[in-house]
Amino acid sequence: MVKLEYIKKQYPRTRRVHGNWYLSSYQYKFNVKRINQCLEHLRKGELVGLKCRSCNTVSFPPRLICPKCLKMPDQWVHLRETATVATFSGTYAKESGDTEPRPYPVVAIRQDGADTSWLANLPEGYDFFKVYVGMPLKIKWAEDKKGDFSDIEYYEPIEDPSIEMNKKEETEN
Amino acid sequence: MGVQPVIVSAGFSEHASKRSDVNMAELMNEAIEDALNKCNCTIDDIDCIINGNMAAFEGANIPELWMTDHIGAKNKPFLRVTTGGTTGGSVAIAAYYAVASGLYDTVLATAFEQQSCGSTTVGLSSVALGEVSIYLQLGYDYEKLRRNMGAGAAIGVGAYQAVNYMSRSHCTEEDLARVIVQNRHNAAKNWWTHLKMPNLTIEQVLDTPYISYPLRFGMVTPASDGSCAMIYTTEENAKKFTDTPVYVNGVASVSNETAIVTSEAGGVGQLDPCEQLGAKISAKLAYEQAGISFPEKEIDYAEVYSPFPNQELMWLERLGLFEENTAHIQYREGITATDGDLPVNCSGGVNSTNAIGASALERVAEAALQIMGKAGNQSPKEIHTAIGHGWGGALNLITLSVLADQPRRKYKGGI
Repeated sequence: MVKLEYIKKQYPRTRRVHGNWYLSSYQYKFNVKRINQCLEHLRKGELVGLKCRSCNTVSFPPRLICPKCLKMPDQWVHLRETATVATFSGTYAKESGDTEPRPYPVVAIRQDGADTSWLANLPEGYDFFKVYVGMPLKIKWAEDKKGDFSDIEYYEPIEDPSIEMNKKEETEN
Repeated sequence: MGVQPVIVSAGFSEHASKRSDVNMAELMNEAIEDALNKCNCTIDDIDCIINGNMAAFEGANIPELWMTDHIGAKNKPFLRVTTGGTTGGSVAIAAYYAVASGLYDTVLATAFEQQSCGSTTVGLSSVALGEVSIYLQLGYDYEKLRRNMGAGAAIGVGAYQAVNYMSRSHCTEEDLARVIVQNRHNAAKNWWTHLKMPNLTIEQVLDTPYISYPLRFGMVTPASDGSCAMIYTTEENAKKFTDTPVYVNGVASVSNETAIVTSEAGGVGQLDPCEQLGAKISAKLAYEQAGISFPEKEIDYAEVYSPFPNQELMWLERLGLFEENTAHIQYREGITATDGDLPVNCSGGVNSTNAIGASALERVAEAALQIMGKAGNQSPKEIHTAIGHGWGGALNLITLSVLADQPRRKYKGGI
């Protein structure tokens, strides 16, 4: 790696006083009315989204207030187990016991049948250079379900027919 | 419509990663002195002061009370504005409204940030901790969440935009590096900027490791200490202060949905992070006020808020200066260079200097100085109309100021 050089100016040091902010005892309140019903369905192995009657936007995970028309959505709809990658990135992190930081993919997915995206996980050790926008995924349920987000263990990449179609198009052109 | 606000001067302090020789109040004073020296104005002419910085990033509570004497705010109306990354843009808009309302004649808009004094992590945790605790409460694995959030902080929002922009426009990492090289070369010609790299090459940028794919270490913005000050006044007063007034013809401030996580752990309605509906709407509103019908032809200079190179490409398209998905081609042809047809970020942009609270105000200030012809890295082209843009990470808040060397014209019709 080349070290990027830049023109630096040295400023004289003056006296500094050190201090700390204590940031541990904060409390946050949030409304679990909608999300609890969704988690109950997750325990049964079902995916449900919340549909707004006024603009037909389906949110998954459910939202208390529709982002488009500010109404309270109240219609539960069942969603399919497949999803697509809405956007992604890759990051390097050190787990306990690692000497070198390892690459991890980070994806935001859109559940098929829903109109919103949220952060999800790919299988451990998946190469993020293989991920692309619009990649199809399928849900992998956890063995023992607890009725929370950990019931979705990860999303598994599945075969994408559009890759072959794109290849054919390229060769024809 | 109220009074027509006019910018008569803008000033900066020196920017560096650690300004160890001054404290916050002295840093702010440097920029104000520079602004007052550039025009025929003294601190007694100022009627009202507007100040802003990113809350909790500098480690001092209510810093504006501390610096009252250093910025000449004694016995004068004083207002603090803070809206995260766009603080500077909001300060500029607050100063615009203070003059336009007719309440005050001359308004001093100031913004600063001394990041070496505080901790950025503490400041960001006040934004993100609430959402994180909800996710943990609902059974999201901590290790996984840490990684997702690690890529999902300010750089992550930039990385997601970059991924979607690259998949839309088929631009390469080399195109992103080209933007960086142009900005850092421009910064080297300016006296107040932070990362001055006159000899940087594309290969050097592409040789650095990834921070969040596809953004590399060489592509991301630094953390700077610095401040910026601007003087807004009425058309009549401007004649006393300067020969080259700059008219503020339109302002807009539009927020879109949150970037990656929303309240109560719900889904995010914004499926494509690089779509940026807020920027399009803010452009429409501000251009409408300024009477600009054809932004791609009428705007001569753009100063956009781009901590990451893909954003510079994205904003230029969303603000109507280039066709969709073509900005990286214009960079290859050198249209956006200092001596090009549409100079962009001649100051080096946020990419080279990022004193967070001051960054968006510096964009407006640099655009004004380019119209006046007093900028550090002045474009040889004659500039009549310029824009200064700001963006804030978590909520996609956009601020936009349209500046010109003539008062606003009548609106002719859609963009």
